[in-house]
Amino acid sequence: MNKNLKNILGKVGLYSLLVVIVIYLLFPFYWAVNSSLKNENQLMMTPATFVPRDFDGNFSPTFENYKSALTDSQFLRGIVNSTIVAFSVTLLSLIIGAFAAFSLGKLRFRGKRTTLYLILAMTMFPQVTVLSGLYAVITAFNLSARLSMIFSYMIFTLPFTTWVLTAFFKALPVEIMESAQVDGATPFQTFRKILLPLTAPALVTTGLLAFIQSWNEYLFALTFTSIDPGARTIPVAIALFSATHARQEPFGEIMAGAVIVTIPVVILVLIFQKKIVSGLTAGAVKG
Amino acid sequence: MSSKVNAKYGISKLAKREERLAYKLVLPALIVLALVAFYPLSQVFYASFTDRTFASARETNFIGFENYKRLFGITIKELPPIIDEETGLQQIDEFTGELEFVAPFRILPRNPRYNELSRFNFFGKKYVIGARDPDFLRSIGNTLTFTFFSVILETILGMIIALTINSKIKGKGPMRAVMLVPWAVITVVSARMWQWMFFPTRAGFFNAFFDRIGLTDGSTGFLTDVALQMPAIIAVDVWKTTPFMALLILAGLQTIPSEIYEAARVDGASKPRQFFSMTLPLLKPTLAVALIFRTLDALRAFDVFHVLLGGRRYSMASYSYFELINNRNMGYSSAIGVVIFFIIFIFAFLYIRFMGVDKDE
Amino acid sequence: MKKLLVLSLVLLVSFSLFAQVVITVAGGAVGQELELTKKAAQMYMTINPNVRVEVLDTPDMADDRLGLYLQFFEAKSSRVDVYQIDVIWPGDLAEHLVDFYDYKADMVTSMYFPSMIQNNTVDGKLVAIPWFTDAGLLYYRTDLLDKYNLSVPKTWDELERYAKIIQDGERSAGNRDFWGYVWQGNSYEGLTCDAIEWISSNNGGTIISPDGVITIDNRNAAEIIQKAASWVGSISPAGVIGMAEEESRAVWQAGNSAFMRNWPYAYSLGNSDGSAVKGKFDVAPLPAGRGNPGAALGGWQLAVSKYSNNIPEAVEVALFLAGYEVQKMRAIEGSFNPTIQALYRDPEVINAVPFFGSLYDVFINATPRPSTISAPRYAEVSRLFYQAVHSVLTGRRRAPDALGELALDIADLTGYPVR
Repeated sequence: MNKNLKNILGKVGLYSLLVVIVIYLLFPFYWAVNSSLKNENQLMMTPATFVPRDFDGNFSPTFENYKSALTDSQFLRGIVNSTIVAFSVTLLSLIIGAFAAFSLGKLRFRGKRTTLYLILAMTMFPQVTVLSGLYAVITAFNLSARLSMIFSYMIFTLPFTTWVLTAFFKALPVEIMESAQVDGATPFQTFRKILLPLTAPALVTTGLLAFIQSWNEYLFALTFTSIDPGARTIPVAIALFSATHARQEPFGEIMAGAVIVTIPVVILVLIFQKKIVSGLTAGAVKG
Repeated sequence: MSSKVNAKYGISKLAKREERLAYKLVLPALIVLALVAFYPLSQVFYASFTDRTFASARETNFIGFENYKRLFGITIKELPPIIDEETGLQQIDEFTGELEFVAPFRILPRNPRYNELSRFNFFGKKYVIGARDPDFLRSIGNTLTFTFFSVILETILGMIIALTINSKIKGKGPMRAVMLVPWAVITVVSARMWQWMFFPTRAGFFNAFFDRIGLTDGSTGFLTDVALQMPAIIAVDVWKTTPFMALLILAGLQTIPSEIYEAARVDGASKPRQFFSMTLPLLKPTLAVALIFRTLDALRAFDVFHVLLGGRRYSMASYSYFELINNRNMGYSSAIGVVIFFIIFIFAFLYIRFMGVDKDE
Repeated sequence: MKKLLVLSLVLLVSFSLFAQVVITVAGGAVGQELELTKKAAQMYMTINPNVRVEVLDTPDMADDRLGLYLQFFEAKSSRVDVYQIDVIWPGDLAEHLVDFYDYKADMVTSMYFPSMIQNNTVDGKLVAIPWFTDAGLLYYRTDLLDKYNLSVPKTWDELERYAKIIQDGERSAGNRDFWGYVWQGNSYEGLTCDAIEWISSNNGGTIISPDGVITIDNRNAAEIIQKAASWVGSISPAGVIGMAEEESRAVWQAGNSAFMRNWPYAYSLGNSDGSAVKGKFDVAPLPAGRGNPGAALGGWQLAVSKYSNNIPEAVEVALFLAGYEVQKMRAIEGSFNPTIQALYRDPEVINAVPFFGSLYDVFINATPRPSTISAPRYAEVSRLFYQAVHSVLTGRRRAPDALGELALDIADLTGYPVR
């Protein structure tokens, strides 16, 4: 009887904790949606309302903000630019990082520790510190805005992918490799046919995290695309949303822009995570 | 292991081939980083030893360690009491009712200038700690506090979420979607959104809510009250980056074969026991990397301080930005960057050592 | 052979006729501002078909915009020709800007307000043309002043008293979110504006006098700053020390404040449809202390970058944009305060924006911040100032101590003597 009670209490405790966490994670987004459906005067109302209301208390959402966001050509182009940049950065970081991680995690060579630290050292500087130096470099080489973003984001994503994948490669049992080598496979074949599927969760996860990091980046993008409005990414486009008057901040429109962009990203990530992970691991079961 | 023996007595041909391959595989990463990072980083190191002004043709002079001395210059001086000439007793401040002491700025050295960092009492006497850049020293404190609490909370929450998704609990599917939301919202926008939620009147969500349930009177300045500022931005950062930890830990959990849990259950091990003696050790490499990167990111925190706390409270990175853009002290700002680098380096080094990440099998 | 020569000559000539010079103007591109700038650019291009004017939008937050400009200047970029710069930037950015006097600007400078031309003149060089101006104003609720039988406050003491009366009254009538006075108390440049209004209106000087003496450490300045600190939490919300222009406007426009200090932009916004204060407010000069009312001088100027590849054309574009015709259009269609004296007597302009006429004195007597005298380090001086004021507003220090230390700090920075 006691054990059952403890079980139930434990379950109740656990579920309540999960509910609290879900509320914590979801509520601000709900508030963003709520704010995006309000015009400026509704936003200023006290007390703040849970759903958009007019001064008489009636439910009255406005879709103006969504209209402005969707008709802003920079915003739409921003979606394209962000996708291109984030995708390229992720792909490059994964490939180059995976190569480096294989050697750092599975092969033996001198100077391994130094290399690891060297790669990590790149991320130890705050963005603001390297900004002007980077800008000088890309101005000197006259690099296009998109190209500059792709390369400069690598400073932060490449060490990350390298280190995470190194940890995963290292965790893989050596026996698989050795048995494959006995079977006559080159290290490269081992990598492609056996290791890759096994580390699928790591690759997908790291890729997703690198993707989102590039997707969200603001400071570099703002500086590099300042003279090239056509190359602006979403964070910059949203931050540069203009209101009708100077000094006025189009808060509702900014929220609308963020909501428009967030929902497809979440859906896409969900699909990717489930499908790809299961797809890749299906073949390499029971290492 | 045989590799160690080989290393001592000469490397075999197979090992040599392996080493060459290893170098070839690592090369692209190093090349990319050298191309992109070399100039900016060397510029930072070099500039930190000069008095260079940002966006100016003013002459740049090499000043050695001056910037660093200014960052860390500290002194302690005693504050003498103000004695009323007539009574010979210490004066009492008419506003606060406390004993009056000479104002710190009259005592602290002027060349170079030291400003007040904080005061304290010791054996009945009052002392003032002066620093050449008190704002910077405070920013270090702010950043470390922020990092400590954020990382701990994010790790715990991330762990809970990852375990939930990886288990057979009913909340699995929806939790996976929910978890991604904070992290998919554009960072600059989410900062502005939280800032609006913290608005100091009931137009902001938290004031309206806490007022409704009777906790406050609806005019709390979450981002202006010194006691509430850090909890507020930690709440924002934990919200934003828990998904990061959760995803990484989840990936780590998914590489643990489920058979070992079966075996443990058969042996009669309880769930918590399974977690602490099986899951956690197997998770260590993933957890280590996640912690390293999360801590590094937190130590470099810029957005959340810049947007939410602006010029009221600095992190090391937002202070560096401020020095660069507002005061155009490029040399000084670079020195701050170098200090951040070393602080992060120490953390990374300690993590790596303690968690054995760089040890060979 | 001769035919080839003639042909190539013809080609060359026709090519140069159609060769387009592209002038890029970087500046504010918020909604109406952008439209009007583009319209003005169009006007210019009609007259000068071989010049194409492109408008580049930059972040609206002055800090971000300055950061961006500095990146351009650091890289000596030629991509932007004309910059829209804040009234406090000419001194700090002068080394990157072209001297308009080199391009016969003295023929047109007389039509602008002399104080603004002086503000933009650094070491005898005119580095920017005044484009539109701004001054701090007192917004007040006409309906509430009527309800409580009060007049427009002329002194800070009156403002304090009236604000308290109205606040108490409205709160007991049921509006719990009502406050007496909102302003900008955050630790940023805007606080320098608010604070310089306080101290100059109390005979406390303007931080550094125009002839280079640091005057900030005086009893009048300390008195008024300490008074302002007493408003925090009593007639102003505690969060006012984190408010910038938009936050204070949010409280005011929701009908939750009796008075507000803000720039003219809030006027038309307050009268927009759906606003809770529509038709219920008006503007007046800010109250005074022991001296005359002070209003911080704001506004934007147009400057030409030294690194531009087409300086003469860029200067022409700048002078055109800041010229009579364009400024009149911007005044009528966008309520932008002109910087040309004659426009304040133009009946069409006065008709469109009535308070241009009634507040003329405020605009021409606005208090400039000491940007020119502390150039090229005004940004640092301002930061020392607003941080010192902020520390008094938060209660961390008392005004006399804060100002005493501030004077020494500024002296160390600029080398000027302290009085």
